[in-house]
Amino acid sequence: MKRRKAVNAVKWAFGLLVAIVWIFPFYWMIVTSLKPESYILASVSLVPEVFTVQHYVTVFTKAPMVRWFANSIIVSVVVTLARLAVSSMAGYALARMRFVGRTVIYLAFLGSLMIPDEISIVPLFIWVLKLKLDDTYWALIMPQLAGAFSVFLYRQFFLTFPRDLEDAARMDGCGSFRTFFSVVLPLAKSATTACAIIVFSFVWNDYLWPMLVSFKEPWMTLPVGAAIFNPVGFQQTGSQFGYGTAMAAIVIVALPTLAFFLGLQRYFIQGITREGLKG
Amino acid sequence: MKLGGPIEGKSVVGLSGRLRRLRYKGSLIDWAAYLFVGPYLLLFLSMKLAPIFFGIFVSFTNWSIVRAPKWIGLKNYIRVFTDAWVGQVWTNTMLIALLVVPGTVVVSLLFALYVNRRWLLSNTVRTFVFAPKAVAITVTSMIWVWILDKEKGILNILLSSLGLPKVGWLTSISWVIPSIAAVTVWWGVGYYMVILIAGLQDIPEELVDAAHLDGASDRQVFWNITLPMLRPALILIITLEIIASLRIFGQVQLMTAGGPGGRSATIVSYIYSTGFQRFDLGYAAVLSLLLFLTTMVFSWVRFKIYGDVDY
Repeated sequence: MKRRKAVNAVKWAFGLLVAIVWIFPFYWMIVTSLKPESYILASVSLVPEVFTVQHYVTVFTKAPMVRWFANSIIVSVVVTLARLAVSSMAGYALARMRFVGRTVIYLAFLGSLMIPDEISIVPLFIWVLKLKLDDTYWALIMPQLAGAFSVFLYRQFFLTFPRDLEDAARMDGCGSFRTFFSVVLPLAKSATTACAIIVFSFVWNDYLWPMLVSFKEPWMTLPVGAAIFNPVGFQQTGSQFGYGTAMAAIVIVALPTLAFFLGLQRYFIQGITREGLKG
Repeated sequence: MKLGGPIEGKSVVGLSGRLRRLRYKGSLIDWAAYLFVGPYLLLFLSMKLAPIFFGIFVSFTNWSIVRAPKWIGLKNYIRVFTDAWVGQVWTNTMLIALLVVPGTVVVSLLFALYVNRRWLLSNTVRTFVFAPKAVAITVTSMIWVWILDKEKGILNILLSSLGLPKVGWLTSISWVIPSIAAVTVWWGVGYYMVILIAGLQDIPEELVDAAHLDGASDRQVFWNITLPMLRPALILIITLEIIASLRIFGQVQLMTAGGPGGRSATIVSYIYSTGFQRFDLGYAAVLSLLLFLTTMVFSWVRFKIYGDVDY
């Protein structure tokens, strides 16, 4: 029994460690954002001695946060819906239908999963400039639509989907499209939720591509725009904001995704474990 | 491909009828399939395949946005061998990967084992360890820039209250790569933990119980049952993490912008500064191909060691 006690102590100590290393940074972000700048630099206290919302006021007056939020929502929602539509159909065809070229197409899609996206940023960037699509939703949305992993997620799902239902629909005189959209797709909810959550959070948090194609502030997404408050102060941004304002900016960026994650945690985890290993 | 069935006389059937009867490997072709696969295929060809070929073309030019591009043959490729920065950023990336990959695998395995058996804290731990992955890299990076700040950051204040010297976590040459690697592990372990939990739950309980009945200790069970059974999941996360750590960019750009003196610049940060700050796009295209090549080499080595991964 002595040993059991020791094991329990280790368990609790480990839990505490996790709490400090994984929870504290978020807590510290929130606390810092609520302290006046002079207090932030003068002392370390785990609760704000003096509360202020000044940093949040600064963030909203210095940056078009609402516009960035809208951009992020528009881009993420459009990309998610479009990808669900095209990849569910493609995944279904690859899993169920017989056609010339299926193997070649399947292998091409599979191969593309191995290729880092960064290989196409130079050519896509040149095209965006040539077509004068910089600072538009087109540039933010189009390249995100071709990710192959969602096709695989659906393909895997449809491979195990019972055939009887489709046969029954055929008997009733449904064509391929009717069968797919009114019988098969409504029953693919678990694949759709997993895919939607993974694609949405990936696009919402994406950094490199949206940074490249948004030159003017109104076209930035939240993660890209919030970086203007980064106190590291790169040569190119020359941030003049203190840590309080920086933390307030990222609290605003983090809150919607954290709420989204906490609310849908179950589906997140199902999505990753059951089908979406390639997030 | 052959025509199915006898073609009867001077067809009442017509072209569409004949197409409908076309067979492929013995069964009828489903023509609707092309409409199903078409939209995605179009996106794939235009947004994935065509850019790769255009990128290869760009790599043979001195493409920049200010002047008309000229074909310069292999010059950009030769430059790779004379450019000291290529060696530097490649080494930096390898060093980061060398810390991040084992770090992530070990820590996520510890968490998965910790959380797997349900008890009071297991759900809480799982939620909080996963949380960083749910927020943008901007958030993660800026939080840590603040915590690791040399003068005012809470970590150094804590250290100096213990009588230890302050460390320039993100500004000293020796600490910058370990710091970035640590933040990357912090950020990513939740995701891999979830994959490993799924792997753990696939291990049949009878197996573990039987081993215990036969007198196996916890340690023996771990090394002889749990770890071998987890092998596919572990190989998967190693593969994913190798590819991910070769592509590290956001946290570096936001935390150090490659500094001090380029000591934390990665392959992708170099692609970024070459192509999109100096607009030397031809050379940036070559650097992207180098990244691709590196990824392929690592995937091949991984394949040679562990065999195929079942996604």
